Amino acid sequence: MTETIVIMGGGVIGLSCAFELRSRGHEVTVLEINRCGGQASGAAAGMLAPYSENLEGPDEFFRLGVESLRLYPEWQSQVKRVSGMAFEYTPSGSLYIAYHEADRLALEGRLLWQKEFGSTGTLLEGDALFRIEPMLSRNVRAALHTPEECHLYAPEYVRALEQACRFIGVRIFDQLESLAIVEWQREIVVQSADQRAFGGDRLIVCSGAWAREHGDTFGIQIPVYPIRGQICAYETEDKPVRHMVFSNQGYLVGKENSTLVCGASEDVAGFDTSVTDKGIDRLRRWNKQAFPFLEHRPPFHRWAGLRPSTQDGLPLIGPLSGSNRVVLAVGHYRNGILLSPATAKLVADYVEEKRVPDYNRAFDPERFG
Amino acid sequence: MKKDVWRIGNHELSSRFFIGTGLFPNPYVQMEAIKASGAEVLTFAIRRINLEATEDDSILQHLQGESYRYLPNTSGASTADEAVRIARLARASGLSDWIKVEISANERTLLPDPIETLKATEILVKEGFTVLPYLPDDPVMCKRLEEAGAAAVMPGGAPIGTGLGILNPYNIGLIVEEAKVPVIIDAGLGSVSDVTQAMELGVSGVLMNTPVAKARDPVGMAQAMRLGIEAGRLAYLSGRISKKRYASASSGFDEFKLK
Repeated sequence: MTETIVIMGGGVIGLSCAFELRSRGHEVTVLEINRCGGQASGAAAGMLAPYSENLEGPDEFFRLGVESLRLYPEWQSQVKRVSGMAFEYTPSGSLYIAYHEADRLALEGRLLWQKEFGSTGTLLEGDALFRIEPMLSRNVRAALHTPEECHLYAPEYVRALEQACRFIGVRIFDQLESLAIVEWQREIVVQSADQRAFGGDRLIVCSGAWAREHGDTFGIQIPVYPIRGQICAYETEDKPVRHMVFSNQGYLVGKENSTLVCGASEDVAGFDTSVTDKGIDRLRRWNKQAFPFLEHRPPFHRWAGLRPSTQDGLPLIGPLSGSNRVVLAVGHYRNGILLSPATAKLVADYVEEKRVPDYNRAFDPERFG
Repeated sequence: MKKDVWRIGNHELSSRFFIGTGLFPNPYVQMEAIKASGAEVLTFAIRRINLEATEDDSILQHLQGESYRYLPNTSGASTADEAVRIARLARASGLSDWIKVEISANERTLLPDPIETLKATEILVKEGFTVLPYLPDDPVMCKRLEEAGAAAVMPGGAPIGTGLGILNPYNIGLIVEEAKVPVIIDAGLGSVSDVTQAMELGVSGVLMNTPVAKARDPVGMAQAMRLGIEAGRLAYLSGRISKKRYASASSGFDEFKLK
């Protein structure tokens, strides 16, 4: 049955949901208060790294991440084909580096459980490590190499996603300034600042760090907080960093366009997206410990985005029990780009009332009461 | 009533909650939870810290301007030598001269190695550290660590992060009876009732991370744990009744007897 679906939010999650739902034959409208991909989506470093982002154990968040990584090869080629646009998607693999011999135990423990979930990782030391990442500081004692992890160029991916949506007939309205949910129980009516009304059968809420304000409307708690991430980038020659390199202080990833991206701060700063010296200097003092050649180089570009973080670290994905007209997909924190295909398919399955794997119950949007 | 304070070395503490800074979903929730816990002592793994610039560290940077005492730990060390090296690094960075000796040989159970823990404690005490070893819930080992100069002993309730609670309350009770230094339950606690039980057994404090950081609402759970600690402590000081096999009415039968 064809549904008419209104999606609030034109970030990577909203656009991915739109792309998937339209591909399945539904009528889809995307409403964006600013411009599509203008917040966390466009600011992201684009790492598809569920193994390096989940260090403790195979929880539901990790499983969703691994599922999304599995979907990515097909998903990204579909976005490219439909949009006619290219964007970088690099299966570089990752290195999680450690400076202490004491980290070995933790890396070994991680490898033990991650191997059960598709990692073909190995622990590398000495020559074996410096052979595959030659510029790495010789103070690095060991690294966990995870070949499965990839990265993409997030701003171009989001632009391609938007274009792909338009080509297959998703209606996108941006620069709407503000959106109010006027009706959501019997039908969907969303009104923009200029008094235009957008109607439909279903509403998908994908408004990221701004989702909290809808809690009162739906009578539930949506504890999503903005956490600012500051990032900087260097211009390089000959791609001196081959893998995505993670440490407990941050990450570095070399892009196809010869920039080297270094992130990221986690600041509690409300909705302020300004870049601070403190935030960037911290990255600069840290990253030379991983790659000494960065010591005297100033970054050529610095920016910030707001990640939608939640109270328990898990996103809110799923329908509201009070009204099966509304599905939430918010709170992806550091992993919106990674989780975009899996979230899109999950949301579309909820809309079509299909069965979804049980672990997704952990993302129940009503779990906070 | 006299203020219920206690001491590690010559440092006076009023909170009995040592909280770990790991595993929180984000820095906002982490800071709010630490505040709600009322903890004065924060603990973290040294290997996770940027020791070259602790003020830049991804976790510690959020704690600047607050007056917490740090208890760094040597987690990841599998020998006494490694633990000693890590402790020296931590002190050299100016973080703290308190050290939680944590030495595990097995990455699956992370149970403490008591022999290596004793060796490391002996060395670090000689070097002037305030040493708080994490060790098995064994009364004899705890005594040996105390004799080696540990400022407190920290027996595990259950393996780290399991949330199984106090697996051997009998042993914990014995450890408390024997100890002349504070006993702090470290690891394995899951719920407020576990924490209250620990305090009722007479320990001086508890150390937790996972049960707070991984709760659905870490801030709410931090406050709940704080209250549990206070309740358990007050109950311990107030003295519970002894257990009886049969009922005994609270208002005494005699007064109802017909003369």
